[in-house]
Amino acid sequence: MKKLLIVDDEKHLRLLYQTEFEAEGYKVDTAADAMEALGMFEHERYDLVILDIKMPGMDGIEALGKFLGRDNKLPVIINSAYDSHKDNFMSWAADSYVIKSSDLSELKQKVKEAFGESIYEF
Amino acid sequence: MASDISKELLTIILAGGRGERLYPLTKVRSKPAVPFGGIYRIIDFTLSNCLNSGFRRIKVLCQYMSHSLDRHLKEGWSIFCRELDEYIDSVPPQQQFQETWYKGTADAIFQNFYLLDLIHPKYVMILSGDHIYKMNYAEMVRYHIEKKAELTVATVEAEMSRASGKLGVMQVDPTGRIVDFEEKPLKPKTSSAHSGHALVNMGIYVFNTDALVRNVVADAKRDTSHDFGRDVIPAMIPAHRCYSFNFVDETGGEILYWRDIGTIENYYEANMDLLSPRPRFDLFDPQWPVRAHIGQYPPAKMIRAASAQGKRAKLGRARNSIISHGCIIDGAVVSNCVISPGVYIGPEAEVEDSIIMHGTHIGAGCRICRSLIDKNVSIAPGKTIGYEPEQDSQHFMISENGIVLIPKDFKLL
Repeated sequence: MKKLLIVDDEKHLRLLYQTEFEAEGYKVDTAADAMEALGMFEHERYDLVILDIKMPGMDGIEALGKFLGRDNKLPVIINSAYDSHKDNFMSWAADSYVIKSSDLSELKQKVKEAFGESIYEF
Repeated sequence: MASDISKELLTIILAGGRGERLYPLTKVRSKPAVPFGGIYRIIDFTLSNCLNSGFRRIKVLCQYMSHSLDRHLKEGWSIFCRELDEYIDSVPPQQQFQETWYKGTADAIFQNFYLLDLIHPKYVMILSGDHIYKMNYAEMVRYHIEKKAELTVATVEAEMSRASGKLGVMQVDPTGRIVDFEEKPLKPKTSSAHSGHALVNMGIYVFNTDALVRNVVADAKRDTSHDFGRDVIPAMIPAHRCYSFNFVDETGGEILYWRDIGTIENYYEANMDLLSPRPRFDLFDPQWPVRAHIGQYPPAKMIRAASAQGKRAKLGRARNSIISHGCIIDGAVVSNCVISPGVYIGPEAEVEDSIIMHGTHIGAGCRICRSLIDKNVSIAPGKTIGYEPEQDSQHFMISENGIVLIPKDFKLL
């Protein structure tokens, strides 16, 4: 079973994403900020990270660089309410950049695509 | 005044290499900070190219042994006006995203994406800080724009012996588009223009910024050496518009001078190249001044030895040599040498085919040949160096081509 780490500072969104992706058949962990996520990454291996950008403390762009520093093949999907972070070149290191929406079909599709293209298997 | 192209462009000079094959010159300094040609440091040639091309937004990415380079940039190159958006910034590794030093040239760019974010240039020019050549980079960028290229690689035709196993070799189609790239092939394919030559990568690149970012990101996610020459460029060639900017004289098609100072042998030969009566690389070209940070020294003088007692004093002489300011040739004979500032050579000493760096003191009666003597070395009177390899090898490293290497601050008593 593929294991996702969802990083978002909004509690209700974490709960929503967890419910939806578990229903899709994934195992899901969540983190409320980037530091917590990086700490979890030290002890657990994940197949994909869904990453918010605008969070208290370390933002998702910086966290993305640190995730890739630990595992350069880790698929990461940015899931942000804003498209302005596309100006930041490090955001181009994400596999996809999804604008947050109540309709999760695009996010789910990008997760599927990431696994389709990824050679990352355990 | 900066050219219009330069306003859309950021120049990044890669100056972080360890320079192991230049040891012991790189024992205390990075390769771009190694003194060259008497009064210069190697990076001065790339920076002078930038200055003469009108490119004045420059980031120098340092890494190993960067103190000497950083000090040189501050003392010698604080010449631009930041208020006019002109600068030469020395950038040490920030470890912003990754807790490692640069794994390769492409990783150096990946780890510094934030520099591109600050400026958002349309083009990025990537240069090496350890080459000797004169190039108008503005012409290369204009070519890049004309070709609607995503990447333009400066190339030069090199003899097979220089290219084989040492340099990246390219094949181009009649329009200049690169169709094949091999990194350091043992049997390079010849270029079409000059027989016996191969078209080699000079390590000078113009990228459209978006192409640079996308391809460096793609490389960062692969298990490669994260090097432009080995990894990024070969991967780009099949799917991207990659062009060769051939480094030849515009009028006659003559191959222009370019040397990669990778080894002690290259370093020695490139210094000696300066001594020919009409060197291919001319420091006296008023159209292309090479800037140096020299410091304050009195003029050089060649004098009759003051201390020769009881016999006729010899006149200090220099033949076919570069003698920098602050040097005293005190009744000594110097032939085919490159002598940096502040060197003293004592009475009746004979020095030939050698490179002597700043502040070195050579005592009376010494005989020295084919030696590379770093800064502030002191050699007691009467010593012989470069004539007896077995004896020299007890004290010093000797390069493959037989150059005796004396490290900085060494005292030979």
